[in-house]
Amino acid sequence: MTLTVRDLSIRYGFFALLIGLALFFYAAEPAFMSVRSFVFVFQSVAITAILALGVTGTLVVGGFDLSIGSVAASSMMAASYAMVIWGWGTVETVMLCVAFGLFVGFINGLIIVYGRVPDLLATLGTMFLLLGLQLVPTAGRSIAKGMILPDGSTATGSFDPSFLMLGRSRLFDIVPVSVVVMLALAVAIFVFLEFTRWGRVMYAIGSNEQASRLAGAPVNRYKIAAYMISGGFAAIGGILLAARVGRGDVSSGNNLLLDGVAAALIGFAVLGAAKPNAFGTLVGALFVGMLLQGLTMMNAPYYTQDAVKGAVLVLALLFTFAMTRRAGS
Amino acid sequence: MKLMNFTRRRFAGLALGAAALLSGTSLSMAQNMPAPFDNAGDVEIALVRYLSTGDFFQAYLTGVQEQAKALGVELRVLDSRQDAALQADMVDQAIALGVDGIIVQHGLTESMTAAVQRAVDAGIKVVAFDVDVENEAVPQIEQSDRDLARLALEQAIADNGEEFEAAYVYVPGIAPLDRRDETWREFKEKYPGIEEAAQFGTLDNPIANSVANQASAVLRANPGVTVVFAPYDEFAKGVKIAVDEAGLSSDIKIYSADISTADIQAMREEPSAWVATAATNPELIGEVSVRALAMLLAGEDPGHNVVVPPTLVTRDMLMEKDINNMDELSQKLPQFATTDVAKPDWMPATGE
Repeated sequence: MTLTVRDLSIRYGFFALLIGLALFFYAAEPAFMSVRSFVFVFQSVAITAILALGVTGTLVVGGFDLSIGSVAASSMMAASYAMVIWGWGTVETVMLCVAFGLFVGFINGLIIVYGRVPDLLATLGTMFLLLGLQLVPTAGRSIAKGMILPDGSTATGSFDPSFLMLGRSRLFDIVPVSVVVMLALAVAIFVFLEFTRWGRVMYAIGSNEQASRLAGAPVNRYKIAAYMISGGFAAIGGILLAARVGRGDVSSGNNLLLDGVAAALIGFAVLGAAKPNAFGTLVGALFVGMLLQGLTMMNAPYYTQDAVKGAVLVLALLFTFAMTRRAGS
Repeated sequence: MKLMNFTRRRFAGLALGAAALLSGTSLSMAQNMPAPFDNAGDVEIALVRYLSTGDFFQAYLTGVQEQAKALGVELRVLDSRQDAALQADMVDQAIALGVDGIIVQHGLTESMTAAVQRAVDAGIKVVAFDVDVENEAVPQIEQSDRDLARLALEQAIADNGEEFEAAYVYVPGIAPLDRRDETWREFKEKYPGIEEAAQFGTLDNPIANSVANQASAVLRANPGVTVVFAPYDEFAKGVKIAVDEAGLSSDIKIYSADISTADIQAMREEPSAWVATAATNPELIGEVSVRALAMLLAGEDPGHNVVVPPTLVTRDMLMEKDINNMDELSQKLPQFATTDVAKPDWMPATGE
């Protein structure tokens, strides 16, 4: 089989762009090409990528999850609350947050599958719900060691050093733990989606739900599971965020949502997959991270960054939809 | 002024609930106060808010509540949660409720000017915090952003001399940051030895995390930077994360503005590059807002510009006096906790 220029550009165009950009930044700013620099690109996208990998799971079954940003933000608040106010240890805190993410995903799934609420609307609802609820325990305050509680007393707990390690320490003095977590989750979801029967069923549901149901797949359970995956991943993102920042910041997590979704959508274009896929999502996130890092090093003003992100997304979607369809027809 | 998320609305039910609790009033000091405060229980004031989410605004509200309680007046809190049109409607609502005084907290000049004029026409006394309502009859409560920036930069020069390579964190278009930026530019002119190697900044949420990512890239592209001027505490927190991750905590010094308990903890870390911040106590601004309004109601003149002075807080101070949170900061740095601004003799102090 010979590949035409179009096939080649669809499959590898994105990688060519990636390498071209890297060379451009290297020429403009030699500090860009160093091991630390590359590690840093991974670190800067780790949290976004984890959210993006989770949302890929819902995209695969033809759904969408708007609540990931607020799940991450709430998970960050929950982790901080558990440690600073209840004085919990690392293990319990991490388990609490993951359970929280899974629970939110489960509720999302129930609302969508049994309540028959369209996915965008259901997750929009939980998004707002969480944005408000995360502020209730502290009456709108950020959480930090030694904070004054609403009842006037002072919080006695503090962040466990081993918890902070999750966000701050490096393996072999070079690879941050958050990057390791990201890669591990990426491999897990990649293997799950591409090589297991469950993954294939999920893709089948995404392409034709009715047919999958008639073929005997338990569609409802799979869809609920997909939302639990994205909730759980988002919660893990929130844990890493809390560990890096070292406090529970009041924040909406909307930028996390937007960046995560953008990475997953850019991923459609990688290797000409034209469908949600874990590998593409990871590459998409790294691509955006590299661009932002290069632009920042070159002192580009902050507003160029959103513009560039938008341009990349549009370009990637054109790759996916226009070129692949023409190639197929 | 503390920045917050500009795109999000949040519930403020708790704030309203807290305000409702405070409406039971104390009359203990009533004897010594001028009219109408000799009968303070009958005086009602309204706080009309534009911004409410975040530590700064929470603390501001506490200050307003404490001073209102000390005076024994009724306080109503109306929170528009970043809806400019709603905020204007709320002023009309307050007029309809027949309140005696209104505090306008933030908002947009365009939407508030007319609404405030209607209130003044209705004989209601108004003060405004951090929003210019273009009205001679309305005292402007301000924290001085220029003084904040000046205090932090003077400390930077005291610590580092007049020649250093600096990185600067700034996002244009945000009023308090623009005012702080003016001071930064003045300093660069005054001290030509200050070289601005890089400028960056973002308000992407969570801000500290996004700024950390940028700062990391900037510090690697500009290894000669020894001073970072980050005149907003979320920026400073982000830069500190990047500095820690790069292992440069003892080579770089961060100067910022604003403070919170979380910031105090970050500055106290061992080692910490965040060496100084200039801040105005938001609780104090809340108290001064109520006091200025009370002076107006009593027929006194607080002046057109009521400026609450900032305080410089350095890492050394925090360590020496063992300050761990905002309460201890107020106890151990009295200039942070109290001010004589808008404080006639009859004015009751808070916390009694």
